[in-house]
Amino acid sequence: MAQRNGVRGPMSALTEFLRSTGITPTTIARRVATQEQPQPEAGPSRPRGSRRNTAAADDEAEEEQEYASDNLDEPEEETQPQKKKPKLSKAAEAKLKAKAKAAAAMKKKKGEDDEDYEEDGDEDEDAYTALSKSAYGGGSKPPVGSFETCAKCEKQFTVTKYTMAANPGPGYLCHPCAKASGTDPFKKPAAPRKRKTPADKRKVVHIEERSFPTLVTICIDVVARHIDDVEAFGDIGTLNLEAISKAISKNRSLTSENAPLFYNAEQTKLVMYDATNLSPDAFIAMGNLNPNLTTLRLDFCGPLNDTVIAAWNNSLPNLVSLELFGPFLIREAAWLSFLESHFNMEAFLITQSPRFSLDCLNALVEYSKRTLKKLALREVGKMCDEFLEQIAEFSKLEYLDIAEPDHSCSDEGMIQLLEAVGGNLTHLDLSGHGLLTDEVLSEGLAPNLRVLKDLKMTHLPEITDAGVAALFSSLDKNTGLVSVDLGRNPTLGTPALEALLAHSGATMQHLCINGWKDVTEEGLSLIKDARELRTLDVGWCRAVDNFVVDRWVGGDDGCRNLEELKVWGCGRVEGKWGRAGKGKRRGLRVYGIESQTVL
Amino acid sequence: MADVDMAQNSGTTAETDNDWVRVMSDDGYSFLVRRSVANASETMRDMLDTAGNYAEAIARTCPVSQRAVIVEKLLEYMSFKAYYEKAGPKEEVPVQEFMERIPPEIVLELLLAADYQNM
Repeated sequence: MAQRNGVRGPMSALTEFLRSTGITPTTIARRVATQEQPQPEAGPSRPRGSRRNTAAADDEAEEEQEYASDNLDEPEEETQPQKKKPKLSKAAEAKLKAKAKAAAAMKKKKGEDDEDYEEDGDEDEDAYTALSKSAYGGGSKPPVGSFETCAKCEKQFTVTKYTMAANPGPGYLCHPCAKASGTDPFKKPAAPRKRKTPADKRKVVHIEERSFPTLVTICIDVVARHIDDVEAFGDIGTLNLEAISKAISKNRSLTSENAPLFYNAEQTKLVMYDATNLSPDAFIAMGNLNPNLTTLRLDFCGPLNDTVIAAWNNSLPNLVSLELFGPFLIREAAWLSFLESHFNMEAFLITQSPRFSLDCLNALVEYSKRTLKKLALREVGKMCDEFLEQIAEFSKLEYLDIAEPDHSCSDEGMIQLLEAVGGNLTHLDLSGHGLLTDEVLSEGLAPNLRVLKDLKMTHLPEITDAGVAALFSSLDKNTGLVSVDLGRNPTLGTPALEALLAHSGATMQHLCINGWKDVTEEGLSLIKDARELRTLDVGWCRAVDNFVVDRWVGGDDGCRNLEELKVWGCGRVEGKWGRAGKGKRRGLRVYGIESQTVL
Repeated sequence: MADVDMAQNSGTTAETDNDWVRVMSDDGYSFLVRRSVANASETMRDMLDTAGNYAEAIARTCPVSQRAVIVEKLLEYMSFKAYYEKAGPKEEVPVQEFMERIPPEIVLELLLAADYQNM
């Protein structure tokens, strides 16, 4: 052990203490070896160190006595001194006996372990403490039937299997004293933890969700079953087709099998709201079966790849408007070939395409410069100032979305772009360009935007309250904004809101000031004059409470047309407004009240 | 008027929602079903929810803007659902059989109606 090889690892406090009193694994193991015989009693084994030391000498004599006695046949029950001992049923008795045997076997096993221990003494120290416990506990208790003097009342009593050690030791307690000390001498030792049988282990408990099949899914299955016979469905108008497309996409059930339902050789417009489960082959088939498409919109079109684009180059010659959400597999070469074969595009809207490069944009400029009206390069990873220079070439641009780039564009680039294309823009989204400052507002937006309806500028930490206020006071008063999203700009506050509402309060339909933490109650109250408001998001505006909301929607004036109100993170809104404080108004949905989910 | 009795399909109905409600189709047919069956459709349940104080809830009448043949199929599914949702986990839900009872001619209309009824 440590002494032998001169290496001492970390030791527990108990080990250290025992070592200092001269108790080592070797001495303990020797002692165990000398009392190798199995112990018939099955009392709870617990360490009785000090008792061992004093009674060690008597042990052998005691054991001799024990084995010579009549108690070998486990007559412990009969030797119980307390007359009111509860009679055990036969079954319980058998159980007790079995337990005693098991315990004895365990002890025996532990003894063997001790031997092992002596042999390979290089075991680590931690094992020692555990073993010492069993070694002590093993044969320390006097044999059942012998006499002992109670440690407390000093009366002589007969040792039974229920006899308990005094705590603190040394010695044992007679039954009345053991009971008086508050412990239940009859308490059965904690049942040994049952080892799981392998069969039990294999049986995995599933949380089985027994969801009842909805009628929608049943109908979709029926559609899939008859998809080869589209005529069987009868004639359904294009309006219905769109509704059906939405219903099918709702639970991602649009598949290669049922997608042909929406195909038509004559239609010019196709929208698929969730194309995740379509294979590349299905996309190619889509091109072949809808040769006259001019407008194509595919949401969640992840599987779309280069081969599909190559096929579309031939099969969809008339395409002028393409909107894709998530075409991340399409490589640069495929984009180039697509833009080359589809010149004079009018709308090119893509979101999340990390491979759309400057060369692709150059190609778009080259082939569609004079016609492009809508451009979205949202969440395009390669967005940079050079992109902006190229975008400035699109003279007819009305819709521009270059939000959420990987790296923000600069003030100068953005100002130049807005000088070039700002005049016709009705929709502008500059969200997430974190480097943009007030300069863009004063020199880019204010002088150039004349017909803007829809402005989104979220996540712009550099713009200030005063800058935004100045922007809205200098914007052309004749064209009010319809939709404004300036959420997640915690620097903005009351002056910005006042200026915004003064400028376009009368026309505003959608407003998001989510995260304007410092806007005041007075400022928020002004929103009630925006009579056309349909949706309003005032999440995380700290001043919003029941009274503020009541001013908007409680009375007959205020935002009468409001349909959706979001108050996430407004802890003081409890849904108590309107008549009788019930917080209900026909046609209004309120989201985010902390104490309830949907009103 | 074709009054369809769905009572035998909702034998396990609790006493509280045992009253009858009327479901009206676009073309004037009306169907009487137990409330528990009507509750299988979330939209219909909201319409009939007395807490909402809607005219439908007071009159216990749900207009459904669909042809009678569609409404009938909707109600067939609703009683199917009301019955089998209460059935034990051991019992097999005969979805295939139900599917075969839907003629493809009406399936798209039914799909839209089901989407509206939120079921």
